[in-house]
Amino acid sequence: MSSFEPVLTKHIHEEDCHTLAFYRSVGGYKALEKVLSMKPDEVIDTVKASNLRGRGGAGFPAGVKWSFIPNDSDKPTYLINNADESEPGTFKDRLLINKTPHQMMEGMIIASYAIGCNLAFIYIRGEFYKETCLLEAVLAEAYDANLLGKGILGSDYDLDVVIHRGAGAYICGEETGLIESLEGKRGWPRIKPPFPAVEGYLKCPTVVNNVETLCNLPHIFNQGPEWFRSIGPEQGPGPKLYCVSGCVNSPDVFEEPMGVPLKDLIYDRAGGIRNGNELKAVFPGGSSSAILTAEEAMNVNMDFDSLINIKSMLGSAGIIVMDEKVDMVQACLNIARFYEHESCGQCTPCREGTTWLVKMLIRMINGGGTERDIEMIYEITDNIGGLIDFSQGSFGKTICPFGEAVAWPVRSFVEKFKDEFLSYMPNLEVVA
Amino acid sequence: MSNNGAPKQSFSFADPDKVQNILSQYPDKQSALLPLLHLAQSEEGYISSAVIDTISEIVDCHQALVMDCVSFYTMLYTKPHGRHIIQVCQTLSCSLNGADGLVDHVTAKCGIKPGETTDDNRFTLMKVECLGSCGTAPVVQVNNDYHESLTLEEFEKLLESLK
Amino acid sequence: MPIVKIDDTDFTVEKGTSVLQAALANDIEIPHYCYHPALEIVGSCRMCLVKVEGMPKLQVSCNTFVGDVPSDKKIDGKYDMVVSTQDELVQQEQKNMLEFLLLNHPLDCPVCDQAGECDLQDYAFKYGNAHSRFEEDKRVRPNEYLGSQIVINHNRCILCSRCVRFTREISGSSELFVEARGYNSKISVLEEKPLDNLLAGNVADICPVGALLSTDYIHKNRIWNLDKQPSICQDCSVGCNVDVFHQKDQILRLTPRENHSVNKFFMCDKGRYGFHRFEEIERLTVPMIMSEGGFIETTWDEAIEKTVDELNGAGKGIAGIASPFHTNEANFMLGRLVNGNVGTLPPITSEEINYPSGFRISGDRSPNRHGMNDVCPSIVDDFASAVERKDIRFLYLLDDGIDRELNELWKGMLEKIDFVVVQSYAMTDVSKCADIVLPGQAPFEREGTITNDMGRVQWLRPSVTTKGESRPDWEIPMLIQSKHAGVEGLTDVSSVMNEMGKDFAAYSDITFFRLGDQGLPLNGKAEE
Ligand SMILES: Cc1cc2nc3c(=O)[nH]c(=O)nc-3n(C[C@H](O)[C@H](O)[C@H](O)COP(=O)(O)O)c2cc1C
Ligand code: SF4
Ligand code: SF4
Ligand code: SF4
Ligand code: FES
Ligand code: FES
Repeated sequence: MSSFEPVLTKHIHEEDCHTLAFYRSVGGYKALEKVLSMKPDEVIDTVKASNLRGRGGAGFPAGVKWSFIPNDSDKPTYLINNADESEPGTFKDRLLINKTPHQMMEGMIIASYAIGCNLAFIYIRGEFYKETCLLEAVLAEAYDANLLGKGILGSDYDLDVVIHRGAGAYICGEETGLIESLEGKRGWPRIKPPFPAVEGYLKCPTVVNNVETLCNLPHIFNQGPEWFRSIGPEQGPGPKLYCVSGCVNSPDVFEEPMGVPLKDLIYDRAGGIRNGNELKAVFPGGSSSAILTAEEAMNVNMDFDSLINIKSMLGSAGIIVMDEKVDMVQACLNIARFYEHESCGQCTPCREGTTWLVKMLIRMINGGGTERDIEMIYEITDNIGGLIDFSQGSFGKTICPFGEAVAWPVRSFVEKFKDEFLSYMPNLEVVA
Repeated sequence: MSNNGAPKQSFSFADPDKVQNILSQYPDKQSALLPLLHLAQSEEGYISSAVIDTISEIVDCHQALVMDCVSFYTMLYTKPHGRHIIQVCQTLSCSLNGADGLVDHVTAKCGIKPGETTDDNRFTLMKVECLGSCGTAPVVQVNNDYHESLTLEEFEKLLESLK
Repeated sequence: MPIVKIDDTDFTVEKGTSVLQAALANDIEIPHYCYHPALEIVGSCRMCLVKVEGMPKLQVSCNTFVGDVPSDKKIDGKYDMVVSTQDELVQQEQKNMLEFLLLNHPLDCPVCDQAGECDLQDYAFKYGNAHSRFEEDKRVRPNEYLGSQIVINHNRCILCSRCVRFTREISGSSELFVEARGYNSKISVLEEKPLDNLLAGNVADICPVGALLSTDYIHKNRIWNLDKQPSICQDCSVGCNVDVFHQKDQILRLTPRENHSVNKFFMCDKGRYGFHRFEEIERLTVPMIMSEGGFIETTWDEAIEKTVDELNGAGKGIAGIASPFHTNEANFMLGRLVNGNVGTLPPITSEEINYPSGFRISGDRSPNRHGMNDVCPSIVDDFASAVERKDIRFLYLLDDGIDRELNELWKGMLEKIDFVVVQSYAMTDVSKCADIVLPGQAPFEREGTITNDMGRVQWLRPSVTTKGESRPDWEIPMLIQSKHAGVEGLTDVSSVMNEMGKDFAAYSDITFFRLGDQGLPLNGKAEE
């Protein structure tokens, strides 16, 4: 393994690392001081220069997103910290909240300052009750220390932060579903345009950023954008948290540079496959990414481009490892069922298609499948989410990327483990 | 939500200051809907139609809009549940680490299937989706608390401790 | 203005027009469900996908807007946008979408009330696949009442949310909501808050499939068996444009007809279901004359002769009661008959209701007060004292109809007048005070013009035939007047309009032809 020294999680094993006193003792809020002496545009330019890409799943460059906020608007601007963490296989934001909440707060204040926001929200998934309580204490500390509120650290910049709990809906992690939810509505994603940067929360310009994205910000200002860009691949640099779970010996969150080999994460950091079993398949970027075969997994690096090149994605870097004992048809059903349960139901293909897939998979598992069903699964997934190769016109069939998020994994299961699907078909066994 | 034709109960929040405090955080009233629903549920145990009436008045929107919202979220209940809501994560990482066994255990021990409540109102069993803690699978959430990396024995002890 | 090329044709459109709007305005069909011109865009049905040059994905045409592209970026040096609605990908996508939509559909078109005006049936036929590959169990739910007049067939619902948005954006009453999510989503109401507002009936019209049904109409008839007459609602002074569906001289339902200067897309339930109150009435179809024992039938010849006699005998003591329920032409002829000596009965009113969308139900329950005042300019408010003062001995009333209740004051007054002629379609309160009752037309039999309270003249067209020996409302006073004055009579309603135009400049160029389906503002006076 490389000799990479963790950035975001450097102190998570130290006592009281969540407190303001501790965070200050390791240089916390120094970056904020620096930022408050800069012009918001300079802050945005620095983040652009770092090429920090969003860690929430889509990988959009943070600085570019901020620059979409119109300068000439007389409406208030809002920042929302997306702490909805609901992508199966993903548990990094929870760690950051629990261990380094002030790092996240500092990032939030920096981002808010950059986009001219005076009221920011932390949208945290409802199940994270303990984390919510912790964040309330953290906010109180920050207000007491004049890190929030009026005239932050003697500047003329004001910022309030509100913690907003979700209530059990994966789709509220999608930024426009999140905004609707924050507005007190069902979390139905919105049609775009308009994009949130122009019309977001309460029709005002809004930026949504992931917890981990925000946590990177203090370090970019402390150590400079060049330093940041020097970590990992140029097209998407920086330190990165990888969540490894499933059939491994030591599941956990690991910090490595962007572009670390997946193999190292599985076999080195996570201690290899449990019971000495063989690796069979891996979700590299949460359950919304296309699944990788063992062979693909052993040869891919964990960065945006490498994964796109093999028609999967980095997504939330939620790595779910499956060993030889895992029944791929059951695993596929498990994931399809998740999406069926979480589809908001707004768009036709997603609402009807996810259920169709689940019904078909159950029928297959019960021995009622035919070879034709394989073709049909391909077609249905294509019709919900389009082909994974981004070919002309074949994706973006739904209001939000949930359509792709269900289509790609399901299709990849069937494509890459077709024999297992066929083995559920009693009439075909004779032939095989 | 029907109460057999009995006159409808009314609901008011235990602490009006809390309500005011929530409202004061947001630029508009409706944004306070979810926090108020959470607060009401923590007081009533579920979102009764009386809760809906009260909240719809506070946030100034039609009851149907409140219900529209409530029915969308799995953590908001429109029916009363047992004292301990056993929420077993059933998504992939937990499933690969024995979550199904935990569900079966509750069913065998307490005679309830997912979605059901024991007669003594002690437990309600639910299967839920990924709790964002897959590294410590299998995970079970009981009311507000996470219980992680549970073995069957630990789970059994946990159930015993919940009175 | 931007130029958009849709398939092979160029269109110049306002900046910000959606591709779907541009197409629909030019009779290019793009199948769509969730888009409705009166409602906010949600883009959820995904049916309206088109291919837009330069965009990697198919786009929903309802939410794709034509903008002004800088001249160096114009496509082919000319277009701000180039759209294909016929691309192979688009056609494939339409098939796919319909397949999804029909998965759980019961395919019960043969017994569905919407059949014939169902976008699902239409599109499935035009764009869909011939048969289903769906082998799984369908989602089956029983029908439910959403309100006293509206039933939902969940199995047909495609969750386009038009109905929900209608109650939020148009009626502002918000009764409807989507319950649950995903596959379990369904349109719902709270038991204690049913869909019972006065605009509720519109949800059945805007539902693009046969999921929302008006109980008033369920299984009454198949839509293609009915005749449809464009006309005007006569139940308040707004004058909503409607289509009257009828068959064998019987009205079966009313639906709103689009008119952006009046009702946009909607109508209220008072107007929608109002026709029923004429179903039960005993229609008066022959002239009746009062004799010792009560009314007895008489012939038109005798009735007219008698009326003219009385008119002659009354000298200057003649007057008329105009009616805001009658057409301009009937009121105009009445005015001529009584030399402009006209009064009217007190208005029939209810509370005016204004909706957030701007839709209004007027407090004036009569459809033509504006027009009546226009063509009877000397109407006196205090008719009672005029009767005393002027020694009125002959009175000709156009009866407001079955909604009119006559108070004691009026009854007493009518009693004192020597001869009272009532033109009506039933033995109403007013008719009963008459010495002679002349059978005119009932509301849906009438033809002529009416002028709504914003000053828009509209063409009221008959949807059922005039019953028995009843005569057109304008014709009866005309016959009496021409006989009385010894002049030649007018032959049809258009010649009455022509005469009316001579007397009243505001009506000078009104013809049915010019009014068409949408009507005209008086003298160019804008109605806003
Ligand atoms: C179905 C779906 C679920 C998502 N869930 C999350 C989530 O739980 N947390 C998150 O940060 N982003 C999530 N996203 C991505 C957000 O939409 C958004 O891109 C992200 O929060 C932006 O932050 P970033 O640019 O900092 O990554 C989700 C997206 C989709 C389509
Ligand atoms: S793709 Fe699915 S989750 Fe996203 S808006 Fe459409 S129905 Fe909802
Ligand atoms: S009932 Fe009709 S209008 Fe309402 S959502 Fe269903 S299909 Fe759309
Ligand atoms: S608003 Fe008036 S004119 Fe329109 S439908 Fe109702 S009653 Fe008829
Ligand atoms: S799969 Fe159970 S917590 Fe993520
Ligand atoms: S009409 Fe455009 S998506 Fe429904």
